[in-house]
Amino acid sequence: MQPVIEMRKMTKAYRGVPAVKDVDFTLMKGEVHALLGENGAGKSTLTKIMAGVVEATSGEMLHNGQKVAFANPHEALQNGIAMVFQETSLVPSMTVAQNIYLGEEKFLNRLRGIYIAAQQFLQSLNFSVDPTASVATLGAAKRQMVEIARAVHHRADVIIFDEPTATLTPEEKRHFFALMRRLKASGVSIVFITHALEEALSHADRISILRDGELIETGPAAEFDRNKVVRAMVGRALTGEIYNRRREAADLRKRGRQILSVRDVSMGSMVRNNSFSIFEGQITGIFGLVGSGRTETFKIVSGIYKRDFLRGGEIEFDGRPVRYNVPVGAVRDGIVYVTEDRKLEGFFETMSIAENFYSGPLAADLTRSSVVSFAEMREIAADWSKRLDVKAITDNARVVELSGGNQQKVVIGKGLAQRPKLVIFDEPTRGVDVGAIAEIHRFINQLADEGLAVVVISSYLPEVMNLSDRILVCRQGRVVEEISPVEATEEKIMFAAVH
Amino acid sequence: MSLLDPVLDLFRGKAVTIPPMDGALRPNTALDDGEVVTAALAPDNLAMLNGAPIYSSHREIRRIGHDHAVLETCPADVSAIAVGDDGTLAIGLDDGSLKLGGSMIEGFNCITALALHGGKLYVTNGSDHFRPSQWVSDLMHRNSAGSLWEVDVTSGQRRKLAGGLAFANGIAVDAANQRLIVSESWRHRLSSVPTSGGGVTEVLGRLPAYPARIVARPGGFVLALFAPLNRLVEFVLQEPQYRADMMREIDSRYWIAPTLSPPDSFLEPLQNGGVRSMGVHKPWSPTRSYGLVATLDARLQPVASYHSRANGRFHGVTSAMAVDGAILAAAKGGNHIIRVQAGEGTS
Repeated sequence: MQPVIEMRKMTKAYRGVPAVKDVDFTLMKGEVHALLGENGAGKSTLTKIMAGVVEATSGEMLHNGQKVAFANPHEALQNGIAMVFQETSLVPSMTVAQNIYLGEEKFLNRLRGIYIAAQQFLQSLNFSVDPTASVATLGAAKRQMVEIARAVHHRADVIIFDEPTATLTPEEKRHFFALMRRLKASGVSIVFITHALEEALSHADRISILRDGELIETGPAAEFDRNKVVRAMVGRALTGEIYNRRREAADLRKRGRQILSVRDVSMGSMVRNNSFSIFEGQITGIFGLVGSGRTETFKIVSGIYKRDFLRGGEIEFDGRPVRYNVPVGAVRDGIVYVTEDRKLEGFFETMSIAENFYSGPLAADLTRSSVVSFAEMREIAADWSKRLDVKAITDNARVVELSGGNQQKVVIGKGLAQRPKLVIFDEPTRGVDVGAIAEIHRFINQLADEGLAVVVISSYLPEVMNLSDRILVCRQGRVVEEISPVEATEEKIMFAAVH
Repeated sequence: MSLLDPVLDLFRGKAVTIPPMDGALRPNTALDDGEVVTAALAPDNLAMLNGAPIYSSHREIRRIGHDHAVLETCPADVSAIAVGDDGTLAIGLDDGSLKLGGSMIEGFNCITALALHGGKLYVTNGSDHFRPSQWVSDLMHRNSAGSLWEVDVTSGQRRKLAGGLAFANGIAVDAANQRLIVSESWRHRLSSVPTSGGGVTEVLGRLPAYPARIVARPGGFVLALFAPLNRLVEFVLQEPQYRADMMREIDSRYWIAPTLSPPDSFLEPLQNGGVRSMGVHKPWSPTRSYGLVATLDARLQPVASYHSRANGRFHGVTSAMAVDGAILAAAKGGNHIIRVQAGEGTS
């Protein structure tokens, strides 16, 4: 059978450094092909070549047996190849319906007609998104849905999904996989990039694994298990190290001084009378479902959001009451918030790694002089790049050119360069591969060992259970239960989060 | 916190906040799961006499043991007891009289706790206006009329060490640091006062419950907390007119105020609230009574705690002490004395 896509000896180099090297790849009709690998392994680059986003340095690509080289994504789309990007490519100022029909506008357009058609189309996909809503008002998950809907709408025969489920809730994921099965049944071929290995193992027909830009292994999904995938991805077994650590009472760090006391903090209907304490020398894990107010609470603590003006509660940091109107006060007091949305809030994407690192001490007023010192910047960047093992093609690479895991390390380094007393990690390993997860976990543990107060907000239960010295469970805008990791089970934590 | 915030608070209302029970104070059911030593009628103050634990109960002082022998019967309810190294027994009564050995010492109004150490008797006078049994009234009047006294055991002469305390309700001698640790119930804190007298310094603040008696243990202290802080009560305490009307018109048993035990009355719909969810009964606030004992380290920081939650039985713990590696707690509201192994609480 002739493959829909065939790539031969595909190579793409940036400034002479290959991101993808001599990769052979085939995609059959009606196949779900999972592409796995660590951040920086070359998955996104390979699929971007497929979708005409970047041009290959060498190698050839055949589409239905015909040699092709797409100059841009529009050309690829016209040939039936669509890509759903990890970072959505929607126009924020336009409505959902307008985004779906973008590029198909007639000479005269009737908005009502577009909305009705979009409504029916979204319903057929089981996506509960209001077609009249402006994209700027949508959360990450709903934007992802619109992006997927747009690809499906273009009736592509090849759809590339880059981390489609990272921002979806469990319910939305079920709908997504049902949609993927429907697309597959109608003959659509799917390339599916994911960091959730279970998703690849249970939904893909074939799996290909890339490491350092090279194809390491490819074969039917049935021939893989989690350990085999991880070994191929990182060259060693890691899953046990990350998630299967048995916690004993003796393993838990002792509570240090109380550094943060949050008392009856409220913010609209998102945070309601939330009270808890954070102690030095410990990792406090925060678990809660989407909408439980976890992120919002810690954004209030770090001055990003403001608590209610009337009876908004009290926050005491390091023994004194605080009410930050802007984050700079919190930063100067020693609170660092490592955001869950690194692309939007975490870094300056067109600035270099060094400039990003240096922006931390600049914000915290910790620089040696009142003017920018390039020597100091280079010193700080070299120090943190080494400590966090940031892998970049060149030292002055822009952050946008880095892989997800390395971008996350830059965000973490930028925060830690501020010499904080309290570090809040919000979803620190979202969209990060297993190798980088292990490194980030080791680093978080090291911070707590050094005596810092560390908060880890995560939606991934094994992460919360393996990292935390105490677990706080949020529901409906407040902490409802504190559970020791020794007695914690996934069922117990989930029960507290739901009931 | 900006300089404007105190001014803005005048308009937006000062936040009434309750410190969370977390960290070392994380709720558990250790008191309810503990061993019942004895059922007793409102057991109050625990002490050790000749190596055996004793407790006060209304007018009597009894020994804990197989016979529960009555050691002494007093003319009024006993409000505090203390035993010296030589076996001297000091007894404070609800009417304000203080009996030390064979002699009586006058001049106190509200004896809430006693401690004998180095030839001195330390006395906490909870309030200048109310008796110990009228503590609810003292709280509702928002008094800070408590004081700390030193009495010379030999001469009977007394000296005021500190005043202006918000219901001084417990006292422990920290001999190593030459200071006294006093619990101030209405300020929800522990304070320290030099044994020579002088300024009052907060050593542990923002407790989530009203502290009562505190006693030393090897390596630290044991603190009994007799009722929880409650948002509703805190709100009532901010409303002088409402409180005045409530005190004038309503029986004190039904005041919106802390209590040592749940009254089990339909007149009080808010007590013992709870929901049954997926077969599990989950208590919820507001509850006016609670059982809580905390062990503190030498720096007065909580290290472990033992609870009887809103749906528990052993509420209103007014006294606790460490005995043979266990914690003995007198639940005055729960009418029982409980023993809990020291490791069984939250730590």
